[in-house]
Amino acid sequence: MSKSKSSESIKVVVRCRPMNEKEKAAKFEMVVSVDVKLGQIIVRNPREAAANEHPKVFTYDSVYDWNSKQIDLYDETFRPLVDSVLLGFNGTIFAYGQTGTGKTYTMEGVRNDPERRGVIPNSFEHVFTHISRSQNQQYLVRASYLEIYQEEIKDLLSKDQTRRLELRERPDTGVYVKDLSSFVTKSVREIEHVMNVGNQNRSVGATNMNEHSSRSHAIFVITVECSELGVDGENHIRVGKLNLVDLAGSERQTKTGAQGERLKEATKINLSLSALGNVISSLVDGRSSHIPYRDSKLTRLLQDSLGGNARTVMVANIGPASYNLEETLTTLRYSNRAKNIKNKPRINEDPKDALLREFQEEIARLKEQLEKRSGKKKRRRRRRGGEGSDGEDLEEGETEEDEEEGEDKGDYWREQQEKLERERKAIMEDHSLVAEEKLRLLKEKEKKMEDLKREKDAGEMLSAKVKAMESKLLVGGKNIVDHTNEQQKMLELKRQEITEQVHHIL
Amino acid sequence: MASVSSDEWRAICDKFTNAQNLTVVESLNDPDNDPFRSKYKARELLREIYCSLKSFEAGEGEEESGGETGESGESGESGEQLPVEAPVDGQTEEAFSQGFCGDSPAGLRAAKLGAVEYYLGVNHVDTEELSAGQEHLMNSMKLLGRCRVSSENVSLFIHARNQLGILWAGRDETETAQGFLETAESIYQRYMKEDGSPPTDMADYFSTEENQLTHQERTKRFELAYTHTMYYLAQVYKNLGETERAAIYCHSTLQRQLKLNQFSPMEWALNAATLSQYYITKGRYMEGRHCLSAATVISGLAGEVPSEAAAQESETESERREQLRQKRAEIARCWIKYCLNILQDSKKLLEDSIGELDTDRQEEMKRGRRLEEEEEEKERKSAMLFGSEDTFDSIASLEEKVRCLLPMDFTEARAIFLVGQHYVTQAKDYFQMDGYVTDHIEILQDHSSLFRSLAFYEEDLDRRCKMHKRRVDMMEPVCMELNSKYYLMIRRQMMFELAETYNEMMDLKLTLANRQDETESLDSHTIKKFNNLCSASAKYFQMFLDSLCSPEGKQPEHLEEEVLRPALVARFRVARLYSRLICTSPPGQVENLDKSLEHYKYVVDYCDSHPEAVATVETELELSREMVGLLPLKINRIKAKIHANN
Repeated sequence: MSKSKSSESIKVVVRCRPMNEKEKAAKFEMVVSVDVKLGQIIVRNPREAAANEHPKVFTYDSVYDWNSKQIDLYDETFRPLVDSVLLGFNGTIFAYGQTGTGKTYTMEGVRNDPERRGVIPNSFEHVFTHISRSQNQQYLVRASYLEIYQEEIKDLLSKDQTRRLELRERPDTGVYVKDLSSFVTKSVREIEHVMNVGNQNRSVGATNMNEHSSRSHAIFVITVECSELGVDGENHIRVGKLNLVDLAGSERQTKTGAQGERLKEATKINLSLSALGNVISSLVDGRSSHIPYRDSKLTRLLQDSLGGNARTVMVANIGPASYNLEETLTTLRYSNRAKNIKNKPRINEDPKDALLREFQEEIARLKEQLEKRSGKKKRRRRRRGGEGSDGEDLEEGETEEDEEEGEDKGDYWREQQEKLERERKAIMEDHSLVAEEKLRLLKEKEKKMEDLKREKDAGEMLSAKVKAMESKLLVGGKNIVDHTNEQQKMLELKRQEITEQVHHIL
Repeated sequence: MASVSSDEWRAICDKFTNAQNLTVVESLNDPDNDPFRSKYKARELLREIYCSLKSFEAGEGEEESGGETGESGESGESGEQLPVEAPVDGQTEEAFSQGFCGDSPAGLRAAKLGAVEYYLGVNHVDTEELSAGQEHLMNSMKLLGRCRVSSENVSLFIHARNQLGILWAGRDETETAQGFLETAESIYQRYMKEDGSPPTDMADYFSTEENQLTHQERTKRFELAYTHTMYYLAQVYKNLGETERAAIYCHSTLQRQLKLNQFSPMEWALNAATLSQYYITKGRYMEGRHCLSAATVISGLAGEVPSEAAAQESETESERREQLRQKRAEIARCWIKYCLNILQDSKKLLEDSIGELDTDRQEEMKRGRRLEEEEEEKERKSAMLFGSEDTFDSIASLEEKVRCLLPMDFTEARAIFLVGQHYVTQAKDYFQMDGYVTDHIEILQDHSSLFRSLAFYEEDLDRRCKMHKRRVDMMEPVCMELNSKYYLMIRRQMMFELAETYNEMMDLKLTLANRQDETESLDSHTIKKFNNLCSASAKYFQMFLDSLCSPEGKQPEHLEEEVLRPALVARFRVARLYSRLICTSPPGQVENLDKSLEHYKYVVDYCDSHPEAVATVETELELSREMVGLLPLKINRIKAKIHANN
């Protein structure tokens, strides 16, 4: 990849799964062969009538056959993409293919088996490992999860699963999903939890479960914000966004599993009058007219990934058996077209909507508040010390350095409370006061005690808030110390070297 | 045949109800690994019904020559592809004149068997067994072929052909599909002409007496089937590339939905508004206006927009508010395009070679616009009218608010402009900048184009200039507000338009000044104004050119296709603008001309090194070459003067 070039094509890889038991038992022919060296998929038509036909050859950036390992796929194809997300680029992974061709295996794989773990868990691991090894950087990682089904957007992480969300645009930050929730995650475990919650929501509430899962698109978005002191002495924030997109099954929009013959691709007639609008708008020449039917929500939402500011990898999954021939060809042709899409990725530096900046500012603000509070307290204490002296506060803003806040504070509160209690008692026992006056004074004291308590709670809440916010920001080393770190790093380097060598050889 | 009240008959009716329920309701819940379970069950029931019907026949000793059609589903099961040869549908004429009466026992029996074949056919098609489906549907046709069209069977005639149309279209045999659907069309038309009574629905064949459909329901189902025929034909014509015919059939579909009250107002209105866009791009403004007026009126049937307060109280109200506002704003945008296109079309007719109003031509066109023209339009119109009794008048009165003839002078153009502007306001009310950036700007661009078109008719140059100023005022702030990271394309468009608008204003100012003052020199105030406009124009062209640079600010070595012409034209225009700046000091003149030369040179050099660019900018290139030759002479002359004066 040359550095001066600002545009790059979508990277397209194709993976072919092995024949499954059922296909073997039914003695289906294998029609797909994979040439890993040349990056080619070769498909031949098994029908006798087509015996003279040349097999169809498709070339991609990489191809993977049934022997390919998850980790190889990750290291060669996805690791560089996730690396650039960590540098502040947008990255998108599209998984595409007919249902049953291993899309889920490629993306998710077998969670608890490190060998068979898919792209998603591998990328989680990758992101947080990277952070743990970082130095002098502050990170904020958050995740969102949404689904598009029949042009409706659903927030898979929201409590209310009946609510539909809308796409909106802002002049400064572009397209966004209004009210989409996002969760700050601090570890692999947390982000996995977020994903699991979403996955559960994906499957509930659908009237026709199977149709739903194979016809809906799901997008898991990981936003990695990284703050670092620049040479100019200012903190700079880079924001990388990783979209993990599980596209709806590429099979024809009719059900699979038919007993009889299969349809061939054709310009089919829309049966339902609800599509009349589509028919009409297809007649209109779009140049000087307005067509009230928008691009699909998926396209609008991912426009950056398809010819915009992003690096994009598309992984197409296919099956090798003869009965899937048509669909396999459709998938391969579609992927071929995707190769022509050019992106222009840039590092997103100091964007206006960086959450990290907000966090940093909020923490600073809260800390300042806390400091002011403790300043005020000290003032009072001092005043208490010089009892009787009613002078002006000249110590405004003065703060002592490094007191052990917690205990000291506890003492102070206790003292205050005891003092008030004493005064209250004194009033009660003072017989010189008339009843009314006594009541008034008592009430006053009680109110003071309440105020005191409220102030104390507020202070505690403030410091808790600061702690909570700070805990969401991740820094290397301290957070996740693992001694396997170095070892693992070495191993990874080795693997990377090998991968590169292999590429050189090819 | 078993008497209608017998138990046997009842059992058949039950089976049929069951099969329908399995097909329509149960099938939605079938599991992934067995997606057609319910449909296969329904198929079994239908087969049983078929056998029972057959056995009734046998029992009653009526020899039936159709026996050989028998069980034809088997072939489908084997997964074998039947030889696909396109059958030809029988003639409508025969269907009406030959065969036995529809209400004779033989006719009824054929219809019932035909209906079961029909349902079996649909079932097979649904389960992706097309060949078997085709066979069943053809059997259904064959059985009916022995009957004359009558109210007892006409519905089945139409339904079976609709299905065959779909089936053949799915095989990419569009002409065959067309044949079936067109026959259905003519059968319907002839039946309605000759008989027209509410026909029996196929479901009626298998329902007990107490469950028979009402006349109203029968008519509704029958008409809906024919609406589908129209709709399928529209798609068939579209796939055949016969766009105009497809549009006619879309139009009829909409007409029928309205007439038969089978529509949802908003959906219908939006479809009609979309259809208007087809008409306006074909220059058929009367049709376009009718569609738009109907769209506006029908969208009103969807009710009032809930207030903001009501929307805050309930989720459904809020959603309804959103939906109604959005769709009405969409319709408003279609109206804007109507006004814009009609203005632009007449401008194209009336402008001379330099884009000014050709008054001779204007007179000629005005004279040529005969009174009969509108009469003619009325005739054309009766064929495509939308509306029911209660909406007809409102649609007509809305149509009267804007003309559908090309405007010929400022007054006529202004009337259209005002209507367009009214809809701009309406559309912007929903599509606000915050939330709908792209839409909002598209509307702004249309508004600017409306002004631009109107300015063409304005004879007073000062007022014309003010119109262009309005365009600048609406676009400039928005263009600066946008983040180019997300709105690069839109910003480029706006920069270009701003540059051109300033350029136009500059030209107007100059013409005005020259007109007012015949003497040679311009006063300093005018010069200042002129130079400001000139610089503003150059500034936006330059911004456009800068937007093509790499993040590091480097000019691209190779211009991509979609920006090739705009980039070279912008260069050329900047070059021209620099040479036009009025400067009294000779060194300043040299400086401007140097810049001008530099840009002209760029155009020439780029085309020399990229021969593929030449064709896109032929005129500009020719002029640039000339200037590259001439400007150095001029520069040298001024330099010589400076030298001499020193």
